[in-house]
Amino acid sequence: MALPLSYHWRNLFVRKNTTILTVLVIAAVVGVFTWMIGFRGAVNQSLSVAGEERKIIVLKKGATAESNSAIPIDEYNKLGQLNSVEKNPATGQPRFSPEMIIQVSLPRLADGGMTFANVAVRGVTDDAFVVHSNVKELGTRFSVAEREVIVGVAASKQFGGLNIGDIVNIGFGGDRGYKVVGYFSADGGPMESEIWGYLPSLMNAYNRTMYSSVSLRLTPDADPKEVIAQIEGPAIQLTGKTEKDYWKEQTKLTQIYLFVTGALVAVMSIAAVFAIANTMYAVVAGRTREIAMLRTIGFDGYTILRGLILESVMVSLMGGIIGCLGCAAWLEIAGNTKDMFGATTFTTMAFEIHLTPVIVVAAMIMVTLLGVVGALMPGLRAARLEVLTALREA
Amino acid sequence: MSSAEIEVSQVRKVYYKDRLEIPVLDGLNLKIAAGEFVALMGPSGSGKSTLLHLVGGLDTPTGGSVRVGDAYLESMTERERTAWRSRHIGFIFQMYHLVPVLTAAQNVELPLLLFKMAANERKERVKTALTIVGLGDRMDHRPNQLSGGQEQRVAIARAIVTDPDAILADEPTGDLDAKTSDEILDLLNLLNSEFGKSILMVTHDPKAASRSNRIVHLEKGLLEREEINPVTVRESAVA
Repeated sequence: MALPLSYHWRNLFVRKNTTILTVLVIAAVVGVFTWMIGFRGAVNQSLSVAGEERKIIVLKKGATAESNSAIPIDEYNKLGQLNSVEKNPATGQPRFSPEMIIQVSLPRLADGGMTFANVAVRGVTDDAFVVHSNVKELGTRFSVAEREVIVGVAASKQFGGLNIGDIVNIGFGGDRGYKVVGYFSADGGPMESEIWGYLPSLMNAYNRTMYSSVSLRLTPDADPKEVIAQIEGPAIQLTGKTEKDYWKEQTKLTQIYLFVTGALVAVMSIAAVFAIANTMYAVVAGRTREIAMLRTIGFDGYTILRGLILESVMVSLMGGIIGCLGCAAWLEIAGNTKDMFGATTFTTMAFEIHLTPVIVVAAMIMVTLLGVVGALMPGLRAARLEVLTALREA
Repeated sequence: MSSAEIEVSQVRKVYYKDRLEIPVLDGLNLKIAAGEFVALMGPSGSGKSTLLHLVGGLDTPTGGSVRVGDAYLESMTERERTAWRSRHIGFIFQMYHLVPVLTAAQNVELPLLLFKMAANERKERVKTALTIVGLGDRMDHRPNQLSGGQEQRVAIARAIVTDPDAILADEPTGDLDAKTSDEILDLLNLLNSEFGKSILMVTHDPKAASRSNRIVHLEKGLLEREEINPVTVRESAVA
């Protein structure tokens, strides 16, 4: 026993303005929701890529990030005591990747270069490409004899002046131009937001004598906790973190941002429920006689309730579809990358947001729930309508 | 074609407003034979509409018994009465109460959606009902594309499409001009004489009431007097 779908569908357009306003409110909620879920997915994807438990990042004692860490060469040499580090098969020596981090200011493509972001430039050696095994070169690697850099694909999409052949000004006062000769990917990890160059060359550009960090991989049987304890112990006195913990700390600001956005979506969802409820109350008030007639000819309260919920869900789904399309259009027009300031690095991490089918389905489930919740009270009122009173009012 | 006897025995109906007892029907007795057309008249507050609602199972009596065919309505739950109503009673309202977003055919089809019935059979029944009321060519018109009289015809088609035992009409001509009223009353007479439907009609209009077999006058919740209309009774008997 159900009323025809056409009855519910056509009724949505009886009060066009109210329906359109409600659809727009829901569309706004869904637009923000899908973008936020996409962004959360991008952050999680990035962190999962940079989440190796067997990879250790060594910093200066007390340092919280590579950008405020400085490891002198003699302290770096002490890491040779570690005996659970993967070895270079060619030399039989433990493989360490000494690295240096500096920042360059580059224009954001999203706003046409109106604002600038600090982009991390990492000085590395050949060992970095082995230790950071997720890094894949896409084209030429920088030369050790020339001022050259390669660029992470996320950085190239997000920031200006990073095309092949472009010159990135590095060094004190930006007086040394480094030519972009290739790109690299890192499975969507945070390193894709960086620029990489030859370590000694970059150290020379800044007159540095110390590394920012050292990365190493542990042997399969090693216990990361024990190795970190050794790194932080009296013999070495540096700080060690698994890659997972390190990037988790670096994305702290992003997590706060996501929390605030999530709270905003929650508040907007509550507002949407009220908007739906308000619309459905108006629907019930406007169709009192009609509902009374339906009850009189034999439709029960449950059918009336179910019908109103269906109408509410239809409105919600329309809003959901428009919201998803709006989000997709926004990602197309404004770009699907979002950069966030690292919590302690003072550099920017770029995340690539994708509107996946899973997100769209999640959005549709959310709006369906909003529709059901919003229609519940007005629907119950309609289902419990005093038929005789309503008929007399008519 | 089905028809049912209606029997109202010692029916009392009391409404309460601010703890105040307002008696509307006070031990009313009335019997309507199967296939009889009865008009209910009386001043406002005499209990006409209340009686109609009790016979239609929209309300329950405070005391006494209401029987339609084999069904004793006072012993049914609201759910049972709702289901019973959909199968045995056709309602006609003064203001038609058509759904504006549905076509004439879809409006007439509404009560059939409560039955397990194939779409083809529903379509056939709707067509038949609309043809009986003279609107076979207006199936796809929306209510706003119809005149008041045509809207009431659609409402009548909706009332008869389930082949109910009785038709209950509440001021069916109250919103229509004299000519259209006549046409609607002709139709009710046809349903009564040709299809043998029991009809209970509430009206203030003596002209409308004169088209019935019997006029029942209510006063203060009691049957004041009855008038038999020999002309219509004879016509019914002939048919």
